Parts: sequence; C-alpha cells; structure tokens
Amino acid sequence: MIQKKICLLGASSVGKTSLVKQFVEGIFNEKYLTSIGVKVDKKVVNVAQQAVQLMLWDIEGYDRYNVFQDKYLRGAAAYIIVVDQTRSTSLIEGLEIHSLAQKANNVPAILAINKSDLQANWHLEDSKTIQYQTLFNAHFNTSAKNGSNVEEMFQAIAALTLQEQ
Amino acid sequence: MHTTLLSVLNSLQQVIFEVTNAETGEVQRIAGNSQWAFDLFPQLHQQDTIIIDDHTPFLQDFLIDAQQVWQGNNNNTLKSGFWTEVTENKKELHLEATAIRHNETNILLITSLAEEFKSKQNTLQSARELLLSNDRLIEQNEYLHTRLLSILKKPEQQGDILIALTKAIENAGFSVIITDNSLQTLIENSSTYSLFEQRRQALDHDEKPIDIILNLMKAQLPEFDRIMSTKSGWDGELCWISPPSTLKWLKIALYPVKTELNEVNNWIIFTNDITSIKHLVQKNEQLALQDMLTELPNRFSFWQKLEQQTTDNKPFYLLYIDINNFRSHNEYYGHDDGDKLLIELSERISGTLNNNDYLARVGGDEFAIILSDIENQHDCQTRLNKILACTHKPFISTKDEPFTISVSVGAANYPKDANSVEELMKFVDLSAYSGKAHNKNSIQFYSQSLQDASLHIIELEKELRDAIKYQEFELYLQPIINLEQNSIHKAEALIRWNHPEKGTISPIQFIPEAEKSELINAIGHWVIKSACALVKQLNSHGYRIKISINLSPSQVIEENLFSFIHNCIKEYNIEPDLLEFEVTEGVLVNDYAIAEKLLSKIRAIGMSVSVDDFGTGYSSLAYLKKLPLDFVKIDQSFVKDIVVDDNDKAIVRAVIAMAHNLNLGVTAEGVETDEQLKFLKNNACNSVQGFLYSRPVNFESFLKLIKEFY
Repeated sequence: MIQKKICLLGASSVGKTSLVKQFVEGIFNEKYLTSIGVKVDKKVVNVAQQAVQLMLWDIEGYDRYNVFQDKYLRGAAAYIIVVDQTRSTSLIEGLEIHSLAQKANNVPAILAINKSDLQANWHLEDSKTIQYQTLFNAHFNTSAKNGSNVEEMFQAIAALTLQEQ
Repeated sequence: MHTTLLSVLNSLQQVIFEVTNAETGEVQRIAGNSQWAFDLFPQLHQQDTIIIDDHTPFLQDFLIDAQQVWQGNNNNTLKSGFWTEVTENKKELHLEATAIRHNETNILLITSLAEEFKSKQNTLQSARELLLSNDRLIEQNEYLHTRLLSILKKPEQQGDILIALTKAIENAGFSVIITDNSLQTLIENSSTYSLFEQRRQALDHDEKPIDIILNLMKAQLPEFDRIMSTKSGWDGELCWISPPSTLKWLKIALYPVKTELNEVNNWIIFTNDITSIKHLVQKNEQLALQDMLTELPNRFSFWQKLEQQTTDNKPFYLLYIDINNFRSHNEYYGHDDGDKLLIELSERISGTLNNNDYLARVGGDEFAIILSDIENQHDCQTRLNKILACTHKPFISTKDEPFTISVSVGAANYPKDANSVEELMKFVDLSAYSGKAHNKNSIQFYSQSLQDASLHIIELEKELRDAIKYQEFELYLQPIINLEQNSIHKAEALIRWNHPEKGTISPIQFIPEAEKSELINAIGHWVIKSACALVKQLNSHGYRIKISINLSPSQVIEENLFSFIHNCIKEYNIEPDLLEFEVTEGVLVNDYAIAEKLLSKIRAIGMSVSVDDFGTGYSSLAYLKKLPLDFVKIDQSFVKDIVVDDNDKAIVRAVIAMAHNLNLGVTAEGVETDEQLKFLKNNACNSVQGFLYSRPVNFESFLKLIKEFY
C-alpha cells in the first residue's frame, strides 16, 4: 500500500492534535492538553479507488518554547498549516512556518483554518484572507470539534500527494 | 552483577540495542526487559534482533540522523527528542532515543520518559495557556481600541456617537469605560458592573468603577502624575483589594483620545480581570517573576529588587529606558516584529552589563536597570554610553528590512536624588520622558531644572495650541532660483509665529519644543494647508511657482499624512506638481521603510521630494540610490566657505556630480555672495537659495519680489 507522510504544523494550541484525533478516532476533547514532541498516527484513505496510508505527524506547536525544526519535514509528501480563526497571531505565525517549511521541503501545503465552530476574531479584510489562501494548494475552514471539513481536508491532501507523484 | 545492571536499567526505563546494520536499521537487544519495550516491539518476544521499520516511523526517521553518529570516527551521541507511540494495547508511551558511538560500538538506547514527559507537559501547559490568554487580551483590546477611536474621532452628533459606542462596547468580554476629558464616566458596559461587583443602578455610597481604577493607579503607580499631566496612555497590572473578600488582579489600559490640537477629549479605559492568569503564573514561580517575552525579570520582580536595594542602603543609579515611537513601529511592522525587537534589544543591553547590574522589563517598551558599584555621574554616563552604543546597530525585520531605533534614557541616583523607591521611579520616568524630543537617543539625568523644564513644555504647548486657534502662525517664503533659466521656480515655506506679546518667533525657537508633543502634527497640517492656499493665490496672480514644505520626523511616521496631503490638494484644487516635500537625511535613515512608502506615494501623484541639509547627517549613498527622490539640497555649512576652503569645494563638486549621476537635481542653500554663486554656476549646480536673492519674506513681499525679478 502507498504510504504518505503528512506533517501538521502551526502555532501552539491551534488544534493540530484535535484535528488528527477527530480524523483518526472521531473524538473531540474539550480540554486543551498541550502536545510535547511528535506523535505519529496512521489512517488509510481511498483516493480514486486507491488505498493510501497517511502517516500523520502531529508536531508540537511552535512558539517561544519550541522552535521550528525542518528535520521533521524530511520525507513528507505534504503538510498542513493549522491556524486558529479566533487568534489572528496564529495566522501570522502559520504563514511564517509555511515559508520556513517551503524552504525545507517544497511539497504541497494546505491551510486549515480551524475552530470554525467559534466566532472568527480575525478582523481581516476579505482581500487579505484571499491573498493568504493563494499561498497554499488548498484551504479548508475546519472544526475539530464538530468534524466540519476534517475528512474532506485529509482526503484532499491525500489526493494532492498522489497528483505530485 | 548482570542482574543488578539489568534491574538498574529497568528502573531507569531503558532498553539498550546494539546496532548490527545501520543501513537496514537492524538492531539487537543487549539489555533491558521492561514490559513497555515488548509492547513497543512485539517481535522481541520471539527474538532479540529486530529491524526498526515503519511500525515506528519516528524512530525509523531518527535512524537517518543516527547514521551520522554511527558512521563517524569519534565517540558521539545524538538524542531524538520526545516522541509518543501508541502500542497495540492502546497504551501511550513517551519515549526518547539516543544514538551512541562509543569505542567503535554503535548503540541505540531507548528510554521511556513518562514522568519527564508529564512534568514538561505540565510546565508548558501553564506557560502556553498563559500565552494564549495574553494573546487574546491583546488582540481584543487592540481591535476595540481602534474601533472606539474611529467612532470617537468621527464628526457626528454626540447622540449618534453614544449609540455607536454603546453598541461597540456592550459585548466586549472585559470592562470598558469611556469618560470625558475630566475622567467623568460617559458610558460603561455590563462587564464593568460585573467586574467591579456593582449594580447597574449604583447606590450613592458605592464607589464608581472609574474611581476605583484611578485610586488604584494613584496608589500603585509612581508615574501616575506624569501620565495625567502629559496626557499619555498607560497599560499595566494593578492589584485591587477590597475587604472582606475581593482580591483581583486587573490589567488596565488607559488611552487618551486627543484632538488635533493635542487636547484630550475623552479617555478610554479597558480593565481585564487577570486573576486566573495570575494564579496560573503563580503555579510556576519562575513565570511569576519573569517577563514571558524577554525572559528578563518583570516589573514585580524589579520592585522587589529595588526595595531590597534601598533597604540595604547602598548607593546606585536607576536607569529607565524607553523605546521612542515603539507604538508606531508596532503598527508599521506588526506585533511579532515588535516582540522580536524587544527580545533583541534586551539581549543587546544585557550584553553590555556587568554581573552586579540588574536589568528588568518594566513596561511594554520600557526597561529598567540598576547599576551598582558606580561612583559618580561621570562613571554612570560612561556606562550609559556603552548601553546606548548597543542600540545603534540596525535591527532586521522579519521581512529582512533593516531599521534603527532610538531610545530615551532617564537616570537618577539613590540616595542623592531620592530616597524612596516611588520617588526614584517617578524621577527616572520624568527624565526619560523629557528626553523624548526629536526621537533621537537621549540621556537625561534627573535634576530640579528638569522638573522645571517639563513644566515649561506644558506651558509652551498651551501657547502653541492657542497659536493655532488664533491664527498666530504665518508662512514666509524664500525664493529658490533656477540657475539655467534665471527664474524663481520654487520657494521654501518657512513658518513664523507672530506671538501677541513676544513678537515674531523663528521656528528654531519653538519647533524643537513642539516636536516633544504631538502638536507638531497639528502644526505640520497647518503648514501643508497654508502652503496649498499660497500655491492657489500665486496661481491667481498668474504665477506657477512650486512651494517646498519641510516634513518633520514625526510627520513622516504619522499614519494619515498622505491622505491629509491628498485631501488638501483636492480642497484647494491645485496641481500636485506645485508642491515639494523636504525631508532630512536622519528621517531617511532612521525610518527608511516608512519614509520610502510615504515618499513613493507623494511622487506617484506628481509632487516632488528633496533631501534637506544634505551632508550634515549620516548620509548613506545607498539610501539616496534606493529612495524616491528628486532633489538634494546642499547644506549651507558647505556653501559658506566654498570660495576659500578647498575641502568644501571638493565636497560640493562631489555632491553635485553624484546627484547628477543619480538623476537628482541640486539646490545649494545659504548662498550669500556673488563669488559663491559663480562657483556653483561653474559647477553645474541647478538652483540656489539664500540671502543673495532674498531672506524668507511674507506673501505680499514675495509677490513684489517676483515682479522685481522679472
């Protein structure tokens, strides 16, 4: 079976672990528990009748306590930049991580604008948001809490990795 | 012996493998038989030799880095960092791998670090929740502040404003109070009542929220009087204790809403209850005393230290360092860059200090230093010069744009200047504030005359405000002659103050003072508007003469300057190419990115730009090449001795040649004699300005001058 390494990157507490948990186990936990280091989960998806095993690298969020390490992107077929739509700084940090990640491994990237179940707090002009979205192969407004767009996003990234082959 | 070693290894939660084939990931267990190892590698039940494969993808990936160690010639180790595996029986293992090369043997050590993981997670959990709360607070405050300012500055009916404000603040998750200029509450939102534990219909004896806040500030903030007298904003944390049961930590932000004449119309006060954040901090002693961003001691820790120093009764100097225009910097480059600047500056300052010195971050853009072992003011000045020197090197933004900053430093001595911590803080704060003129680096030692001077500034500011209100300013014009056409093609606009009692006052006497207050922008606006009016009048007399206007450093960074200029041009219906703006070299170098943006826009609509006083600042030819410019004005100090001084001749020739190569025109300032004029003509200078033709004159005299000239 084809295996694809997918990295989840982003600032801390944007919901990377929750997205993986929702996708792999269909569970959401209200309590925020910070991730340490790396955890790899696996799930098989079907893309055009082809089974693909996604190896989901959930990487500790980047902030002043944890700096970006490009070594984790080694061998990745794609990555997801997760941002929190209730915190505009997470978008800025996400874009920074995206530019570092592109330098390390120029593979397809998806922007996950997470916590869509909560009220957005970005106060960004639409034109600016569109401008940011164009930096990615695709973007999804996701909610790890209610599962909105989570399956679709992982399906899309699986498809992207096959297109790149 | 073997059994003992094994039980030690198991109690250390370690399993040791010898690497038998680094290429294929084949390893052989040589010691350790903890249950988790069998859960992680079920193959170990059958055999000790296993292959690390994609069942443990993180470890498999680590082997790539590990090979560097194992294939090396020297003894070496490499750690993988924490990773988590979920075993088939759904157990979570928190692990770390170590690649070891020792005496030509390759080892892979795997350790289960459940406790360390938990402990690290607990610490980071608190720290990250704290970061999150802070981020949210800042974001919400800033957004609402901007919104309220835009409502309060709209020229609408008062009734409409109150409705708009009420709508804007009602749903804020924190207390918002808007007052008039004398701090009497106009409106407050529901969160204010809940935070201050009050009924909406307060009883007579209830203390109003605004009074609670002001009393707290007076009691806990040595800077309070200065903040009020200078109408400055402030934000920080205060503790509200109201027996029998109230103890709340409040994060308060106080913002003045000013008119263009720098008069306060309203105050906006935000109060956030941060008690729970404080508890979170207190769970971790280090966080309680440390500034999260710079990792320096925080304000609380600083006060403890300061009190200890005075209790010990040892003399010391207290320094207060304030970054000039930090707010504008933050608005322009963004908060992440602002944070980056604070971290780098704190590191640079730390690098200049001795072991006995103490540095803390005591406010948003403020640092305090306690310098011990200093004998006198001269020694303190020497140390200060060293500190200032470290701020000169450019900083780099995240977009790789270099920029420089300036700081204002206040200094006071214990016990000479004050013998209580509150007074000391008050004095250094005042000293730093007094030095904020010109946005340049400054050092101010506390003195009584400094306190008198600050009163003088407050008085002058009032007079300047009246000068704008009562039309006491007048624009004078000094002609600039085009040497090729021998015509007055331009005039520099120079402001004069017709003081009702003191007579005509030249700008040198009041502009530097005005620059210390935000009034400089109001004066700047008056100049731009008046210059547009003069262009229009000249047009009506049949003259097409460009007027050149000086822009001060504070104007260049003023957010809405370009739209103001644009509106003036439309209002007076004049051609933009009849306006020119002059900026000094300092502005170009200090605020390069901001200046570049503004000047590009100015030129895009047809106005021109010149560099004033060229040669007197720290010129960088690179800036001249990159910036959108049209003219260079050679400073009069070079023109003065041009006939007799060979150095000045060489400099002026070089400047003209360089400017022409860069397609820039050259104007020589301060031309007073025919000899100077001849030299400049012979060296292809484009235009001249000086007493040889005319002093700056009022509009009527300027009209006469044009007529005489032709």
